[in-house]
Amino acid sequence: MAYPTQMGFQDAASPIMEELLYFHDHTLMIVFMISSLVLYTISLMLTTSLTHTNTMNAQEVETVWTILPAIILILIALPSLRILYMMDEINNPSLTIKTMGHQWYWTYEYTDYENMTFDSYMTSTNDLTPGELRLLEVDNRMILPTELPIRVLVSSEDVLHSWTVPSLGLKTDAIPGRLNQTTLMASRPGLYYGQCSEICGANHSFMPIVLELIPLKYFEKWLLTML
Amino acid sequence: GRRFGARRAREAEGILYIALSLQHLSCWTPFKLLGILDVENIPCARDSVLYGSLGSVVAGLGHFLLTSRIRRSCDVGVGGFILVTLGCWFHCRYNYAKQRIQERIAREGIKNKILYESTHLDPERKQTNSNSSN
Repeated sequence: MAYPTQMGFQDAASPIMEELLYFHDHTLMIVFMISSLVLYTISLMLTTSLTHTNTMNAQEVETVWTILPAIILILIALPSLRILYMMDEINNPSLTIKTMGHQWYWTYEYTDYENMTFDSYMTSTNDLTPGELRLLEVDNRMILPTELPIRVLVSSEDVLHSWTVPSLGLKTDAIPGRLNQTTLMASRPGLYYGQCSEICGANHSFMPIVLELIPLKYFEKWLLTML
Repeated sequence: GRRFGARRAREAEGILYIALSLQHLSCWTPFKLLGILDVENIPCARDSVLYGSLGSVVAGLGHFLLTSRIRRSCDVGVGGFILVTLGCWFHCRYNYAKQRIQERIAREGIKNKILYESTHLDPERKQTNSNSSN
């Protein structure tokens, strides 16, 4: 989960998010080198007393600073496209869950076998028990099995919302009248937090998402208690 | 005897000082190069930057010793840093990606071996069958 003064991503809990972290590291190193070069060039410009007022052409340097950025962009684009297509792979989900956004709570529908629906409201600060996280805890978490591909269909009953879980690399807009699909596969059990990511009114900041990922046998036991 | 005892006391004091320092280090804030590159946690980042720094110093100093031109040597040093860092980075990340793939294959192999043991899908059983048929 997020911590104060955080600058980077949260730890990955799904293979796609791991790939995104590696891609981010790769791109950041390239950006770091370019920034170093630019900073050095600026420092050179500021510390020279030489001037050159009659440049007519500069074929060599123009060739270099056309081809080199093209190569850098290809080096960034290829891993990016690879991850983009990886996110769209067909993976035969074992479970389908519908997530409906409301003002200002989420509804989760597990309708594969029986008709099970529940709402997920934020726990207000006054009702938190010691150790719980302010503005992130909910009364009913979305409980899912680990290491299984799960299809999540996201939509909204009123205005635009966005269902986000950063540690799984998920962000899907909830648009009224439209079904958006995303696939989720958590590598390890745990609690994963997210918050609504599309402005939706007064309590937009107060409709969090909490995923509780548990092993399959415990998920089945939980399902039986709920049905 | 007294001198030996005093030496022992100094050693104990030194060990205590190191232990306390290590305890203090546990609440050390993470270090980020230029505020953006987390060299502690990104795989290959620390090695690449260190090799790049070494390459920069060697290239810059070597150029200066050969030519005695300060500005050009600084340019060579910076260029060396960028090239060596990027070279080490891509080489290390490529090997790291290959290693991850091999780890995944090994992990799947171990999982499947336990899962399929003594069934018709057991790869070791298929291998012994083919050996016996040969």
